[in-house]
Amino acid sequence: MFKTLTTLIAGSVAALAIATASAAAAEKITVLTWNIPVYGEKIAGWITDFKALHPDIDVEWIDKKGTEWATFYQTQLAAGTPPDVVNIQGALWAEYAANGQLLDLAPYLAADADFSGRFVPGALDMWKMGDGAATYMVPWYFNRTLLYLNKKMLAEAGIAKAPATFDELMDAAEKMKGEGKSGFLTTNFDWLFWPLFKMNGVDILNADMSAAAFNTPEAVATLTRLAEATKSGAINNISWTGRWVEPNTAFAAGNVGMYMAPNSALFWAASKGEWINADNVEVVQDPQLWWTPNHHGWGVSASTKHADAAVDLVKIATSDKWQEVMSNTFSLLTLNKNVDPKLIEKFRKENPLKATTLELAGSELDKITGYLKSPLEARVKDAFWTSVQPALLGEADPKKALDAAEAKVNRILSRR
Amino acid sequence: MASIFAKKRHRELAFIWSLLAPALLIYLFYRVVPLLWNVALSFSFWSPGKPMEFAGLYHYEEMAFYDDAFWTVLANTAVFMLATPVAIALALALALLVDQNIRGRSIYRTIIFLPYPMMVVAVGIVWRWLYNDSVGLVNYALRSLGLIERPIAFLESYDFAMMSVMVAAIWQIVGFFTIIILTGLQNIPAHLYEAARIDGARAHHRFWRITLPLLRPSIFLCVILGVIASFTSFDLIYTMTGGGPGLATELLITYIYKTSFSLSRFDYAAAVTVVMFLLFLALATIANRLAGGDAGKVDIAD
Repeated sequence: MFKTLTTLIAGSVAALAIATASAAAAEKITVLTWNIPVYGEKIAGWITDFKALHPDIDVEWIDKKGTEWATFYQTQLAAGTPPDVVNIQGALWAEYAANGQLLDLAPYLAADADFSGRFVPGALDMWKMGDGAATYMVPWYFNRTLLYLNKKMLAEAGIAKAPATFDELMDAAEKMKGEGKSGFLTTNFDWLFWPLFKMNGVDILNADMSAAAFNTPEAVATLTRLAEATKSGAINNISWTGRWVEPNTAFAAGNVGMYMAPNSALFWAASKGEWINADNVEVVQDPQLWWTPNHHGWGVSASTKHADAAVDLVKIATSDKWQEVMSNTFSLLTLNKNVDPKLIEKFRKENPLKATTLELAGSELDKITGYLKSPLEARVKDAFWTSVQPALLGEADPKKALDAAEAKVNRILSRR
Repeated sequence: MASIFAKKRHRELAFIWSLLAPALLIYLFYRVVPLLWNVALSFSFWSPGKPMEFAGLYHYEEMAFYDDAFWTVLANTAVFMLATPVAIALALALALLVDQNIRGRSIYRTIIFLPYPMMVVAVGIVWRWLYNDSVGLVNYALRSLGLIERPIAFLESYDFAMMSVMVAAIWQIVGFFTIIILTGLQNIPAHLYEAARIDGARAHHRFWRITLPLLRPSIFLCVILGVIASFTSFDLIYTMTGGGPGLATELLITYIYKTSFSLSRFDYAAAVTVVMFLLFLALATIANRLAGGDAGKVDIAD
């Protein structure tokens, strides 16, 4: 009995060791995506295409919700096992790039004209750093702020044309406010409110990103006006407290006159409010054309053992074939020059509001603001927002809030 | 080697240590080593993928003199801790009620205890909806009673957010405290009350002179558990407010998380963690001293 048991245990241990060894021997790359679990079937398609190129390398796909993404990725970085291919939102990549954790894709782009030539002009600039030679990411999908007008509320308030300046925007908001109604609403995460300051000539940092540039009389006036409008109800206070669901739901309810948010926010709201269509909503550029992105790109970890294969997977993910699937699945821009025009054309008949929105979203790409390509972006953002948010909600004096924010930001920029 | 185990006492000790070793090793690797690593990190500059450099007291200096957010979250944590005495007072009242010989008391006990085993995330989500200013039951009730004219966005308000999350925290933990105090109540010998009655002591005298003093270990156990809960209420805050609006409901624990994973400042977060650990240690020691060094004794040992 004892002998049988010993043989059984020894056999199991040996089998486990062989299985572990063979599993460890298989080459593998890992792909991390940002909150896109419903896309699994399509990603399986990429993997099939990838396996045709690299039959000896397996691909593991991991998806994390936005709130869990940074925790997961940073833990993997700390452990020295970052995913080979990473999908990163907004300007977070800048920190990883500055810390040497992302591969410079410029040589791969230079070596492959099809790869570098598939993106719309200026798209890659969003992920360039330093002297512009290094390109750390390539675009996957792209959203940016636009202004959505509730035509009925504008007409009721006697407003004939879309506001073209900050003052016109605030005046229109005041005219539309009322019991249960507010004139203006914005999203606030990732600097999405920043066009409001930029319209008044305010920048976040100076040109070389060495000091805060936002504490100006214009910024004080802007902040004061925003706080007063929030207090009066002209601006919905969800603008400063909500993140995604709250402002979108508020706009979908039909009681907000103007909504400044990424194009994906409008489509999300439209799925909750049937009234949101071309008859009832007009889409325009933010006043003075300034916009803030909420985009996603692909990068490759500098520590990957399979850099060429990882880049091949990025090429597959950003190819015309798969970006067409992506754009049709989620109604969004990909910054792929062959794919986006087709999507807009398709929507011209099917959904004119979407067509106009996407067309506007893909234009004026040089008027970007609120996008800091700095390794300290997250800390600057946090220091600014935690000081200024109370002022927007009437809990702090605007000048003192900006003074406090400036002191914090300058300390972050000047010390380690 | 054989001589070491020659004595019976040595053999017994070896046996005891062999039984203790696995648990001690787990404790060492999962508690002591991370704690020591955390202390080392708090005196260093480090971020993932970068070499560690000695920083001296840099992070502690920043915490003390430059980071006003730290002092805000420290104050918030102290305020949040006030939920503990409120919960204990409520639990004491409830325990006294369900200790009476009333019909269906086991059902009442179950109902009171029910929120405690619930997942904190679920509790947070439920309370978020209860407080919702459009469809929330709290606003509906207050408006129906004519107490407010316009709905209040409880969790978005600087005035109400902290109080609102404290109510949710109290609601969840009060059942657990009730059970602890109830156990303490049932451990008080009945003859003490009988003797007091014979001596003519009234109900409130019996409560102040017998019940409360003999419940001291149970109550201090609740204090310690409440303090732990205040320091570790991450999930409730995270799901209900995310620490906002501004820093209005940010606690030390959520601040540490945010500093680490949103701002990539693991070194600074380690320094805040060390301070939190020391504060917690001090509070636990004080609570235990006040309990005469036997917090929870009646419930566990007797």
